[in-house]
Amino acid sequence: MGANQRLRRRTVWLLVIILALGFGAVIARLGYLQLVQGEELQRRAVEQQLSDTPISAKRGTIYDTNGKVLAQSASVWRVVMAPAYFDNDEQRQFVASRLASILDLNEAELLEDTKQNTYYVSVKRKIESEQKEEIIKLQQELRDKYGKSAIISLLDYQYNDELTGTPGRIVTAQNGIQTEMPFDYNQNIDAIDGNSLVLTIDETVQSIVEKHMKQGIIDNDVHERGVCIIMNVNNGEIKAMATVNGFDLNDPYTITKEQQEEIDAIDNEYLIEHGFTEDPSKLSKTERNKLIDQAKAEAESADLSKNWRNKAISDTYYPGSVFKMVTLSMALQEGVVNEDSRFFCGGSYTVYNDEIHCTGVHGSQTYQQALWNSCNPALIQIGQLIGTENFWNYYQAFGFSEKTGIDLPGESSDQFFKYEGVEDNMSLVDLAVASFGQNFAITPIQMITAACAVTNGGYLVQPHVVKQILDKDGNVVQNISTKPKRQVISESVSKEMREILEENVISYGGKNGYVAGYRVGGKTGTSEKLIDVNGDGVDDYIASFCGIAPMNNPQYACLVFFDAPLAGNYYGSAVSAPVFASIMSEVLPYLDVVAQYNDDEMSKIDTTTGAYTGMSVSDATTSANNDGFNVTVKGEGNTVLAQNPPTGASIPMGGTVVLYTDQASTTEKVTVPSFEGYGVNDANYIAAQYGVNVSLAGQLSASDSKAISQSIPEGTEVAPGTVITVTFSTEGTHD
Amino acid sequence: MSTIEHTSAERRRDYERRRSARRPDTSRTPDRRSSKPARGQEKVSAAPERTKIRFSLLSIGKGLDVPFVLIILALLVVGLTMMFSASYPVAYYEMGDSYYYLKRQMIFALIGLAVMLMISYVDYHYYHRFSALILGVSYFALLLVLILPAQEGGVHRWIGIGDIFGVQASEISKFAIILFLAHWGSRYYDRMDTFKFGILPAAGVLASTAFLLLLEPHYSCIVIISVLTIIMLFVSGIKMKWMAIGGIALVGIILLLWMTGMLTYAMERMDGWGQALVYKDNDQWQQTWQTRNSLYAIGSGGLFGLGLGQSRQKYLYLPEPQNDFVFAIVCEELGLIGAVLILLLFALLVWRGVVISLRARDRFGKLLGIGLISHIGLQVILNILVITDWLPNTGISLPFFSYGGSSLLTLMFEMGVILSVSRTSNVEKS
Repeated sequence: MGANQRLRRRTVWLLVIILALGFGAVIARLGYLQLVQGEELQRRAVEQQLSDTPISAKRGTIYDTNGKVLAQSASVWRVVMAPAYFDNDEQRQFVASRLASILDLNEAELLEDTKQNTYYVSVKRKIESEQKEEIIKLQQELRDKYGKSAIISLLDYQYNDELTGTPGRIVTAQNGIQTEMPFDYNQNIDAIDGNSLVLTIDETVQSIVEKHMKQGIIDNDVHERGVCIIMNVNNGEIKAMATVNGFDLNDPYTITKEQQEEIDAIDNEYLIEHGFTEDPSKLSKTERNKLIDQAKAEAESADLSKNWRNKAISDTYYPGSVFKMVTLSMALQEGVVNEDSRFFCGGSYTVYNDEIHCTGVHGSQTYQQALWNSCNPALIQIGQLIGTENFWNYYQAFGFSEKTGIDLPGESSDQFFKYEGVEDNMSLVDLAVASFGQNFAITPIQMITAACAVTNGGYLVQPHVVKQILDKDGNVVQNISTKPKRQVISESVSKEMREILEENVISYGGKNGYVAGYRVGGKTGTSEKLIDVNGDGVDDYIASFCGIAPMNNPQYACLVFFDAPLAGNYYGSAVSAPVFASIMSEVLPYLDVVAQYNDDEMSKIDTTTGAYTGMSVSDATTSANNDGFNVTVKGEGNTVLAQNPPTGASIPMGGTVVLYTDQASTTEKVTVPSFEGYGVNDANYIAAQYGVNVSLAGQLSASDSKAISQSIPEGTEVAPGTVITVTFSTEGTHD
Repeated sequence: MSTIEHTSAERRRDYERRRSARRPDTSRTPDRRSSKPARGQEKVSAAPERTKIRFSLLSIGKGLDVPFVLIILALLVVGLTMMFSASYPVAYYEMGDSYYYLKRQMIFALIGLAVMLMISYVDYHYYHRFSALILGVSYFALLLVLILPAQEGGVHRWIGIGDIFGVQASEISKFAIILFLAHWGSRYYDRMDTFKFGILPAAGVLASTAFLLLLEPHYSCIVIISVLTIIMLFVSGIKMKWMAIGGIALVGIILLLWMTGMLTYAMERMDGWGQALVYKDNDQWQQTWQTRNSLYAIGSGGLFGLGLGQSRQKYLYLPEPQNDFVFAIVCEELGLIGAVLILLLFALLVWRGVVISLRARDRFGKLLGIGLISHIGLQVILNILVITDWLPNTGISLPFFSYGGSSLLTLMFEMGVILSVSRTSNVEKS
């Protein structure tokens, strides 16, 4: 073979190899990547190329039932910076010092942050709106000075989903350093502004409730917390709901130290565990920091909602004797008790081998007396008449076995026997204990809802806090009206229960819950916590009172309970009932519930003093007498220069108005006596003797009412005629 | 040597005369055709009748191979366009001037065209004389870069002339080896089947050059000169036995490396070669950044591409898209169809280059042309294998496309040499 021939042949082979093998392989490889793997590769490419910026929707406003603004657009901002954009140390120094002064941070640490070569450093979260304004100014300043800002304040998470609306999005292409690409590639999805809510909560009622509950906590050395719910008996509207000693409304953003430590410890592993990303180290540093920030925000949000736990709906308790009204309703509805039924109490009752003690020896009782005496043995006997299965059915019917469905987050379920096989599971002993409200745990909202059903004619209503939903222009989007879920007991049984409960407040265990001028019915409860809170070797109690007014036409129910009162008296009648009375005496008039005084009460009603100053002594005296007051004239003058109490003060009919006729007389003082321990009439007498007026408060009608406190302490020097509020109560009774 | 020059000049005169005479008779005088007798001369003379009919129409303009020039111009235009498209975001962000790379590359392209044309007039037989000298320059350059300060990444590759222009020592080496092997293969064509003349000198030059490249280090260039050496020896007519022995040795070494786990180790060491899409650790992830984003770009293109100028990966995701990875952006913008069309253009260039070389009137021209055009084809194939993650990312530029003044000039110079071969070959054929 000739050399040239061989060269030619070999060259042709070479050409074939280069073109077929080389170019063939290359084209095959490209084809595989572009056609087979193309979709996946493109997806991964697009993932890094698109930035998705949320446009925050304007948050709705929360109004109270009267349209008063409760909360408005509580957006939270955070500051981040992209230090990779800083060109020199002068910029870094400038930014660090300004941020340090605006945000109150350590300048040296900030300076370190500005030296990182990343595009995402979280500077501070949850900045105040004034700080936000300052940051915006700083951003502008930086732009003017250096042409770019590198500080970004971002809208952070928001607390209430319902109000946030639907955030919009701007999807833009971004380049490798996360700024927007210069060409047109974006898509805007508009935000839908949040709706506003009108609550059933009345801010005035709420503040009245909180004021009295806080006082009750202090007076009774309540260790755990106090809960109060006021609810419209007929439609389930919650007028006030307070958990005192729970989370502080004025400082809702406090995170405990432990929680903060957990949040700070969030790292790559946390991201994997919580499904933020499969592999954080796959991400760029910037992306990872972003995710960690997001995880921290979410964890903090979760901690906050935990801290905000609304104990009125999320903590369960043994309702105790308050539940007896439910048991008795069951019995009346089932007809297992009647006028002839008698229940004997010998101080204790034995079901099988278990002996259950009573607070007293009540002897033979009607079913009404059983409730008035809050007699456990009698209720056990009533419970046994109802029977396990019936009891369970009514328990369900009264809504204890399910969440009430109140439109608030975090509602808990009850703790009781499962219905499946309830006959086997629930022994007669269990039934016996359940009859008087032990042995199962329910939420306060369940208890008050059931109490409403007992008194409103038997209807189980749906408790709710949102009355209306308004769109961003204030148009009503939805009216929340709730139909009763079901009728549990008949109108007549309910009517009878109202009578029994009213009598209980007038003459028996519920006396301290009496509100002058209103026909209140209610039931006290002292339930065992079976926990020794203060470690004194004795299990502690929950003192509660659930009352409804007015009994001839029930409108509002109020449940008050104090968890672990340790001041000595832990009875519901002594601890919770007076607080109930204080609250309702202010709330019921505010809510326009018409007062219906009896004669005795009429004599004790406070009257407003008139304006007597400037009149002649004789005219003033006549005028005051006509208003129903006694008159004491001080001084030698002919004209009234001043009066005490001043115009518009409330004092009882027959109180004393002091008229001053010269300057010298106005300096005269009297000493405040002690009213404590005296009855209503004695107190009036003492006041007259000392030349002061008393305004009567608390339980006045009961024969054993005693003054328990006075607004001005004994021994204080005051001007004659000064009004001293004296609060009366009866001894707590065992229930 | 002087004989050759003389004959060459004489031949050109003959050619000019015949061109001006416009299609003279096809009769040839054997003595004019070659002053240096070659084996197989009769065979060569048998073929031209057909080739003349096929190609003479395109062979206008003083013997310059017009198809080859047209293909070069097409590649240059497409290459410049795509390099501009790929580079303008980077140029904008980093240089503040979207046209930064285009302007420079266009200047070099124009200079390159001039160089190509000038070189095409230089009778390639002159290079016979310089083959040893250029090989010496290559060694000197390779030693010089080792002394000069290292570039980015700690490699010693560039010889700088001022701040603006630099040349890679390996560019000289590649040309020097092709030239040397063409020279040697044509001079000792009848002894290429011996070990002493066929293998030993080539192996010596390859080993010494490869050793110096290893010190730079510049692995991809070692691969290129190795393959080029094998191609040159193969075409020069060494015994297939040696090819077989070489092939078996290569497979044996690879198998040994593979079995001892050295290959995997080497692959891992080579910047995470072949693992760009799989996350192993942060270092690997960072190292494979460029390759991964290249794959994203290629995959994003699909069949039809995103459209010219529509690449997204060039927006600072794919680092240095104007350099070795320019074809990834081409794939993204023009899709598989565009990529294949461009590859066909390259294939056409290689094919035309081979045709030109085979028509060279002497063995030196044939070998030189084949060596140079193989170099282009090899560079294209290896470049695309790199950007598709089948070869480690070690810096192989794409001819006509990748940004770089010195490599474009070198390329155009080599094209000029092939055209110079075409002038003489067309003298023969037309």
